[in-house]
Amino acid sequence: MATPFNVDIVSPEATLWSGEATFVIARTIEGEIGIYAQHEPLLAALATGAVEVQEVGGGRTVYGIHGGFLQVFQNQVTLLTDRAELVEGDAEAARDKAAELKKLEDEAETEEGPSDDGVTAQVTESSDGT
Amino acid sequence: MASAELRIIRRRIKSVKSTMKITRAMELIAASQIAKAQDRVSKSIPYVQQLRNVIRNVAAASGSSDHILLADDRAGDVGVMVITSDRGLAGAYNTNVIRAAERYIERLDDRPRLYVVGKKAQGYFRYRGYEIQRAFLGMTDRPVYGDARQIANIVLDDYARENVRSLLVYYTEFKSALTQDVAQFTLMPVEPPASDETAETATTAAAYSYEPSPEVILGRLLPRYVEASVFGALLNASASEHAARRRAMKAATENAEDLTKILTRTANQARQAEITTEISEIVGGAEALSGR
Repeated sequence: MATPFNVDIVSPEATLWSGEATFVIARTIEGEIGIYAQHEPLLAALATGAVEVQEVGGGRTVYGIHGGFLQVFQNQVTLLTDRAELVEGDAEAARDKAAELKKLEDEAETEEGPSDDGVTAQVTESSDGT
Repeated sequence: MASAELRIIRRRIKSVKSTMKITRAMELIAASQIAKAQDRVSKSIPYVQQLRNVIRNVAAASGSSDHILLADDRAGDVGVMVITSDRGLAGAYNTNVIRAAERYIERLDDRPRLYVVGKKAQGYFRYRGYEIQRAFLGMTDRPVYGDARQIANIVLDDYARENVRSLLVYYTEFKSALTQDVAQFTLMPVEPPASDETAETATTAAAYSYEPSPEVILGRLLPRYVEASVFGALLNASASEHAARRRAMKAATENAEDLTKILTRTANQARQAEITTEISEIVGGAEALSGR
């Protein structure tokens, strides 16, 4: 049987979701992963996409998130994301939501000047170079 | 008919009372904001803590102090960021943080690159002839994460271009509704979180699997950490601002109350003096008539 484990979805402004779940699906930058209890310790960079949490009672919570990190350590799953939004409906809707978030952000950035990803890329690149 | 003196005093009482209404309203508004701002501060803590946790693990695993955000031997100027408010009427709140930053700046050999948040710091440093690299306005009242991201993007960009080699942030830390202290921290280069835990974490850190790799994750983590640190400082500053304003306005209201009391006494005295004069005039007049 599926053993429950702790899940926290944390954004800079608040802890969005916290509770027990039996299964979590998330999209890392390399592809989708599913996490059951007793997953090995993992640190992953998340891509824009849906995060689905299957709760202990059988309920389901889906968030559309825009980038972030996922940490699994001793049955504690922590998702850190700078932007997330609760989605009604299925994973498909969540992906749309996430895409929407990304679009919003891109638009905001073209107005504000230097792109977030640009800087990140720049900082990442130059570190690889050294 | 009231004498000129009495009229002037009454007018002053009126004006003090109307000022008092304003300061009292501001006090109440600030008081209601403190709770909200404080709540935002505490809600933002888990994210930063978790980020720090993850960075500690990843940094241990990749052993990569070669990320530029971790390197402390870079070219460029020293940067200083000062976080103040856009509005005054908050007692010594702005002055304290500005003074602390200026004392530091005066000790430097070269002029630093100055990043200011809030109109108050902008006005102060501009008036004193400092060159301001960048001013961020209109966000201190109720900062959102987007504001922190905007600031972080710009300073990260300057850092990546080697315009600045380090950035020290001065802000006001919100300790409680009664205590707010000026504090500073080094935003960049990022000081790797101290691994205060025992060797146990070191071994578990090695046991992590990474997707894609510790280096890539670290490269994505550090900019987020800078953002989150800026956000934390903004939230603290905002809560402190409201607390300082409440205190200042409370003092102002109390002063106005005292002043009203004193002025009312003076007005009463003036009124009595007037009545006495009138009576003595009448009595004097009557006596002059009867004495004839």
